Amino acid sequence: MLTLALRNLLHRPGRTLLIVLAIAAILAEILVLEGFMTGTYQQLRRAVLSRGSDVVLAQKGVHNFVATRSILRQQVRTEVEALAGVVATHPLAVLSLVYVRGERRMPIIVFVYDDTGGPRRLAVGQLPQSDGAIAIDQSIAQRFGLAPGDTFTLSAYDFTVSGVTKGEAAIMTPFAFITFDTLIDFYFNSDVGSDIAAFPLLSFLFVDAAPGLAPATLAARIEAAVPDVSARLPADLARNDENLGRELFAPILNVLLGLSYTAGALAIGLFMFAAVRARQRVLGVLRALGFTTRHLIGAILGEALMLTAMAIPLGVLIAAGLGRLIERLDPVYLLPITEPEALFRTAGVAVIMAVAGALVPLRALMRLDPATAFRG
Amino acid sequence: MLNWTLRELLLAPQQLVASVAAVAGAFLLVLFFEGVFAGESVQIVALIDKTDADVWVMQKGVGNMHMTTSFVSDWKVDAVAEVEGVAKATPILYMNTTIEAGGRNWFSYVVGVEANDPRVGPWQMAAGAAHPSPGGAVVPEIFASDAGLKLGDTVRIGGRDFRVDGFSRDTFSMANSISFVSFGDLADLMNSLGAVSYILVDAKPGVDPQALADRIKAQVENVNALPRAVFVAHDYSIAVQMGLNIIWIMTLIGGALAVLLTGFVVYSHVTERERELAVMKALGVHNRSIYAAMCAQALIIGGLAFILSLALMAAAMPLTAVLAPKISLAITADAVMRVGATALAVSLVAAVIPVRRIVSVDPVTAFQQ
Repeated sequence: MLTLALRNLLHRPGRTLLIVLAIAAILAEILVLEGFMTGTYQQLRRAVLSRGSDVVLAQKGVHNFVATRSILRQQVRTEVEALAGVVATHPLAVLSLVYVRGERRMPIIVFVYDDTGGPRRLAVGQLPQSDGAIAIDQSIAQRFGLAPGDTFTLSAYDFTVSGVTKGEAAIMTPFAFITFDTLIDFYFNSDVGSDIAAFPLLSFLFVDAAPGLAPATLAARIEAAVPDVSARLPADLARNDENLGRELFAPILNVLLGLSYTAGALAIGLFMFAAVRARQRVLGVLRALGFTTRHLIGAILGEALMLTAMAIPLGVLIAAGLGRLIERLDPVYLLPITEPEALFRTAGVAVIMAVAGALVPLRALMRLDPATAFRG
Repeated sequence: MLNWTLRELLLAPQQLVASVAAVAGAFLLVLFFEGVFAGESVQIVALIDKTDADVWVMQKGVGNMHMTTSFVSDWKVDAVAEVEGVAKATPILYMNTTIEAGGRNWFSYVVGVEANDPRVGPWQMAAGAAHPSPGGAVVPEIFASDAGLKLGDTVRIGGRDFRVDGFSRDTFSMANSISFVSFGDLADLMNSLGAVSYILVDAKPGVDPQALADRIKAQVENVNALPRAVFVAHDYSIAVQMGLNIIWIMTLIGGALAVLLTGFVVYSHVTERERELAVMKALGVHNRSIYAAMCAQALIIGGLAFILSLALMAAAMPLTAVLAPKISLAITADAVMRVGATALAVSLVAAVIPVRRIVSVDPVTAFQQ
């Protein structure tokens, strides 16, 4: 029956190509959604893991790095540095601001860092070392046509773009980086100056452990000595942020994926139904020759699976192209299409869709009369 | 030819239904995706919209509430209240954080409200008190179903325990869930004594909000003041801009899928009826007329699919509210028009797919066995 299915596919290559393209489009759409989900979780994990250090201190009870507010007392740094096993500490402040130009608005998370916690990769330019310098992510640079040397006005303070970073964004929000000297200057010279008391100067403190000291041990030691902080390993915060992302996005993306699977099964069902209708006489001949309904279902199923098997690599290619296109159009998104887990899951679902779709013309096959073969 | 087109379509009603359903599935995906972004955009401005203050006052340089921070010294509340035309000035605190309960974590904006002032708070309640007392919190009712919370249970907000005083409705969304605690509790949590986040201004009767906002900006140093409608528009535009590119790509994929599905159906009709087409050609029917019939067929499928997708979307909205209450859906005229235009374009492009097949049909085949 597989030979029959293969011959059917090759008999009308134009039709086969159309079907393969359509199934590939569905798979591409599913893979883009999967990529969006995977990319979102990766970005959330990277947000803290890219900042470096062994232990991260946050306000007591704060267990996330992204999408939460943490304020530490300035003295925490001195208290922690006095503890055994602490080699160095690196302060980080986090501000949520909105960049406005004309009618366009973009929320931005500004990381204020000292010597650790800055951007990992620069696409162009340099780190923001001088006063008033800011490194912006390429998603900001691209959307607003900014380059090193340009002025970047936030809260009425004119920063100078020193560099453009790559891959510094999470939950559709790009990051920007400044130093503490610039932060002080920003507070005093911008419109926020008079209300500075409420603004954070220390959100997180990154701690380097002495060689040979387990970061978890150091974290426990810090929590015991400084009661108003939470000490977490970067990997723990990354996992918490990822879980928060799942809590946020999973319900919606799962519904969208469910809709895509249904649309895919419907489309494959349409193709198989059309195939049975178009070949009624051939199928009637087969019945007249003694082939059972089971054989015919096997042939239709084989055809659906072959079509899907041809569509999978094409779907992956289309999805990879679309993923690159989206990332290029708006680098705030990360769409890793070729993650093995998502690929296997999508391929598995594609097979299920093919089987479900192949069952659509089941009734027509069961009612097929062998006499059809002898009608004019 | 139109009669032939209709007859041909109706000759195989099951195939027509399957085609329309499959293409509608592609359109529904696009509509649903747009609906999610529109729904989230509406929820993002829910607090500003439902609170219904005439003017919002915030830190100078700030023009949004979503994903931003605003701090204004608390003495400015009195300064704003003294501006001519102000009936009442109400401060709130506002921060984003995570809320934990029953092993679950939710992202939420937390609003600190004066305990004795009902000016701000949840606009719809499911259970309990609408206004949190000190040490208490009003949280979205979805938290209750997610974590099995009851009134009086404990949630952790920003690492501190709060008693659940009430469950609010219409305050949960993916990007903008809102919880309420007392002003003093949030000030402690934020270490923001002496500051407020926003000041809500009620204008005296007959006072124009825009003129009042301008007056406040002129008379109170380092603040921004926006009429409610402008403030809503600012936050709404952030949400829309964040989703613009991804919506465009999803529309592209859904549109391409619909083109292929519709094209397949029209192509199948042509290949199945080559003999009929050959007879028509032999009888003098021009290719032009056959193309028109194919276009009509594609337009009928595209049109029916579009209508079906709208109907499914309309049915999905109340169903989603019941079955998946975490998803906020809304449908906008823009989205409907965009998908409608896509359906039209899809139909016309799909009709082009079988052109080569039509051209290659030889009238002589009509007379061959």
